[in-house]
Amino acid sequence: MPLTFIDIERQKNWRIWVFFLFLMLLYFVIGVIFAAVVALLVLHVPLHDFPRFLLFLGMMALLVAGLHFWFSAYDAVNAVVRHLDAREPDRTDDIHKMFMNIMEEMHVVTGNRRKIRAVVIPSLSMNALAVADLKGEAVIGITEGLLSRLTRPQLETVIAHEAHHILSGDCLETTVASSLFGTFASTMEKFSDASSRGRASSTPASLLSSSLLQLSYLLNMFISREREYRADAAAVRMTRNPIALAETLYLLSRSWRGAGFIGSGFEMLCIVNPQATALDETEGFWADLLSTHPPLRKRMDILLAMAHTSIAELDAKADSRDKAKAAADARTGPQYYAMNPQQQWQGPFGLSELGALPWLSPLTWVTSGEKEPVVRAWKQPLINVIFAARPAGQPQEASNYNCPSCGQPLVVETYESTQVYECRYCAGTLVENSKIARIIARTDRERPCSDRINALARAAVNENQIRHTRQMLTGKKAPVTLLSCPKCKNPMSRGFYSLAHLIEVDRCSFCELTWFDRDELEMLQCLIENKIVPDLGL
Amino acid sequence: MVAWIILAVLGLILVWLILVYNGLVTLRNDVQGSWKQIDVQLKRRHDLIPNLVATVKGAMEFEQDTLEKVISARSRAVLAPTPATKAEAENVLTQALGKLFAVMENYPALKSNQNVMQLQEELTSTENRISFARQLYNDLVANYRTKLQVFPNNIVSSMMNFRTEEYFGAEEADRATPAVDLSLRK
Repeated sequence: MPLTFIDIERQKNWRIWVFFLFLMLLYFVIGVIFAAVVALLVLHVPLHDFPRFLLFLGMMALLVAGLHFWFSAYDAVNAVVRHLDAREPDRTDDIHKMFMNIMEEMHVVTGNRRKIRAVVIPSLSMNALAVADLKGEAVIGITEGLLSRLTRPQLETVIAHEAHHILSGDCLETTVASSLFGTFASTMEKFSDASSRGRASSTPASLLSSSLLQLSYLLNMFISREREYRADAAAVRMTRNPIALAETLYLLSRSWRGAGFIGSGFEMLCIVNPQATALDETEGFWADLLSTHPPLRKRMDILLAMAHTSIAELDAKADSRDKAKAAADARTGPQYYAMNPQQQWQGPFGLSELGALPWLSPLTWVTSGEKEPVVRAWKQPLINVIFAARPAGQPQEASNYNCPSCGQPLVVETYESTQVYECRYCAGTLVENSKIARIIARTDRERPCSDRINALARAAVNENQIRHTRQMLTGKKAPVTLLSCPKCKNPMSRGFYSLAHLIEVDRCSFCELTWFDRDELEMLQCLIENKIVPDLGL
Repeated sequence: MVAWIILAVLGLILVWLILVYNGLVTLRNDVQGSWKQIDVQLKRRHDLIPNLVATVKGAMEFEQDTLEKVISARSRAVLAPTPATKAEAENVLTQALGKLFAVMENYPALKSNQNVMQLQEELTSTENRISFARQLYNDLVANYRTKLQVFPNNIVSSMMNFRTEEYFGAEEADRATPAVDLSLRK
């Protein structure tokens, strides 16, 4: 029997029972250790009474674990919503309205079996999460940053992904796993933040919260990465737009993740892990066991491979007139399909038609047919010629370097009276390390900080400070990146510009080159000029 | 003794019959309910279109032809008597609307008009809902058909006069009319 989108067989929620047993065992062990010390050393209870004592402790552990389980997992949705300070979408706001519309569409395709609430998380970072609890409530939360930066089709795929988590029941498991200790850990974090202003951080509270976090990571082991693939597949089945989802994942992997002040222990609820680690990007037994999210790169590959079906559909739609014309084109040269900015496949185009498209850029997804792989436009040598031939305003001196994300020659630009390499398409900048100091020293001569850059810099620094601190505390390494050096082609490492200036940049340590994505260089300058420091509200 | 055994077997068969019958009725009601959902969404689209046409009319003087097509496709869809003609008329309307949206891209004045943008978002959402409702309907029909046709359910269903439900096909009409997305190539 085919599974409808709604009737994804409810998973046997056996893991929830495992969690419960784990919790009971934990209390039991704590109880036994504590009691053994007190009873044997202080009260001098005779040894032959001990079995009965253990039975009593077992009962107590069952009771306490039951209470703990109930209180943390029963009302988890409201707890998370309160914790993130998430709000209902604003009906008068066009983008929020779109979000609500998509949620409504979701309810149509699921036959209204389950009401899912929508909330907006007031954070500039990009992430989405789904929460469901034992009370039967469910919520999908999306950050302001993600809402504003995604197109409609992209947002549809994100919501479909999260909805699948809720409907399949694996969201409930995740929520229970994370709320058992996560809620306490992050409350504890907040509490210790508030109480230890200016004092050393090694308070008992912070010790306790970090040990609770370790317990929560232990529960992670039961949560399989497979579910992310399944949710991706379901999202594609609903929206029929794998590229939009792949695009979203790419965007997320390059931008600041983290859903605002989301407490540690909640990361498995998110679409991409807010504190991505190198482990998340690797495969193998240990990575599968320990990590909740599969490698983004692999998820993207799978999605790109799915794109063929949508091309076949497009072909079926084209009428006979177009077919005849396309056949004529096929005799003269190769044909391509390209994805427009609204994430819809268009085509087939001949090479000259492709060149005339106003929206074609090196980062546009193209494919030359149903059986061919889907790649970025610049990776197809024939199409890449188009960009070289395009007039670029005034003639500029092309450099020997190619843009690491678009593959186009970078042009030599004068920036703050020194020479840098700029990409005409994605507005990123490549700077030799020796020149960065110069640019910073010359800050405010040519380009004063705009309000927009200032606000971005402030938000980025705040988010990054939290991430950085967590990375230091947990000893986890930064994620691997998707860019390679324009000069030596080795992978560039993505990291903070410096520990005092928490702007993320891509660097090649061999060639001493630094790549700034759009706005990142200006953000760095503003950071230094306006002495912006992380403001965590302490 | 033998009488008891026969009675027990008959009782079991009766219970099984009741279970199968109830299962089939539930599925059939689900299918019919989801058909209503498509109707609701189509109605919503019919209500939105006059608003959109009235709003863009002034700015799109040279596209009267496109607007005419949308209006006539809408009235044909509203008046269509049978489900089959309705499905066909709705598909024509979808094509006409897609064409209108594509042409609207060429009018910057419309793109900056708040009202138009909101209407367009509402219509896009409705289009999605229609296709999702159709997806749900077809999924449920597939479930129902399987339940109906597998052995030994097929004996019960033919005895009790359960009729099979039709899929809501869109492909035929889609193929007959030009694909919307290609209008940019002119």
